[in-house]
Parts: sequence; structure tokens; C-alpha cells
Amino acid sequence: MIPLVGVVSWRRWPRSRSFRLWVPLFLLWVLLLPFVLLALPILFLVCLISRVNPFEAMATFWGIFAGFRDTHIEIDNGEALVLIRIL
Amino acid sequence: MNEHRRQILEMLSQGKITADEAERLIAALDRSNVTDASGNGSSATGAKATYRYKYLRILVDSDNAGDPHQGPVKVNIRVPMQLLRAGVRLTGLIPPQARDHVNQALHERGIPFDLSQIRPDNLEELVDQLNELTIDVDVNNRNGRGDEKVKVRVFCE
Repeated sequence: MIPLVGVVSWRRWPRSRSFRLWVPLFLLWVLLLPFVLLALPILFLVCLISRVNPFEAMATFWGIFAGFRDTHIEIDNGEALVLIRIL
Repeated sequence: MNEHRRQILEMLSQGKITADEAERLIAALDRSNVTDASGNGSSATGAKATYRYKYLRILVDSDNAGDPHQGPVKVNIRVPMQLLRAGVRLTGLIPPQARDHVNQALHERGIPFDLSQIRPDNLEELVDQLNELTIDVDVNNRNGRGDEKVKVRVFCE
């Protein structure tokens, strides 16, 4: 399943103020969908010229796209904590 | 096996192990349960083959000794294995003529590597052998404030 929501949160030490931002990625995909549909025939043509299976290419890129789900990145440098999650 | 899990949780509550270590111990316990369920004749390799790792974890711990104005830096990254498996399949999308050029360039530089030989199975073999990788890095600090020690841990769960 493709990632639907991104969460970015950060906190500054030592006052422990934390901020959290929910990014609705699904809206972004809806906005990009028309452009992807327009680009599909061109991508098919490029794949056929390059002798690459276009369906395999689509499946691979879809797998990469969906693979980002459940990614978790956390960075703490003692002064601030940044957390990025892709759900 | 519930007794083992209870012992792990007790050690965690007593502070003898960290939450991260407890999580890995429980994951190892689950893998041994898979071995028992599939029969005692299963080898360790067979047990690993039936248990597919879901995440690649990278932990970086730097004490930042060289900079007194900044505290230790900790990085915790969890990447789904599905992303890595899909990335390996990208090599199959390289056009044959481009692949030949790349292989030829690699061979000219003395690297006997063939891109067409990269398969998703290679990644699984690498993951199976990657039990836990720990890299200790000592960074020499030139301003005389002492060496910085960085520990990098890479493992699958």
C-alpha cells in the first residue's frame, strides 16, 4: 500500500516544546495523478525504445513507491529531536 | 516460550537491558519459535528462510567529544525491507545496451562485476548473513579537543 500520511515532529531541548505536523500525502497523490496519466504514454514509449518491459518497470517503481511506508527516521543532537515517519 | 519472554521483560524492567535489546531478543525468540514449529530437523538457515525480515535498522551513536558546544548525536533509521527489495529489482530495468557499457567500464577499471547478476535473492542472502554489524569509528579531532567516537549498528528485524 502506498504511503498515505507523513508525520514530522520536532522538539527543542531543554524546554521540551514539541511540534507535530501531519502531512496528508494522499492528497498529494491525487493532485499528481493527472500528470502521471499524461506521462504514462511517454514512459511506455521510452521503455519500448529502451527494450525494457514497461509493465515490469511500472511494477518496480510502484514497489519502490509503496516501500517507503513504515519508514522511520529519528535524529537527536542533544539540542533538538526531529522525527519523520511515513505511514 | 512465554517464560523466556517474561524473563526478557523482567530484565528490561530492572534496567539490565535496553528497550532496543529487548526488542531484538524477542524477535530472536520468535525466530526460534518458527524453527520449532517447522520441526526440530530444520537448520538455522531454514529457519531464517521462513522468517522474512521486515525492516533494516541503522543506529548511529556519536559522542561528539570534539565539540563541547554540542551534545551527543543519535540517529535511528528504520527502512522497510520491501523498499530495498524493490530497489534491487531496479537493476532489471537497465537497458541491455547501457548495462553492457557499464559492465565494460567496470571491467576496464579492474572491477569484475556484472550488473546482470544482481538478483533479489542476493539481497536475501546478504540479509541472512547480516546478523548484526557494528562499526566503531574513531574520528581524529584536529583542534585538540579529543577524538570523537562514532558507533554504527546495522541489523535487520
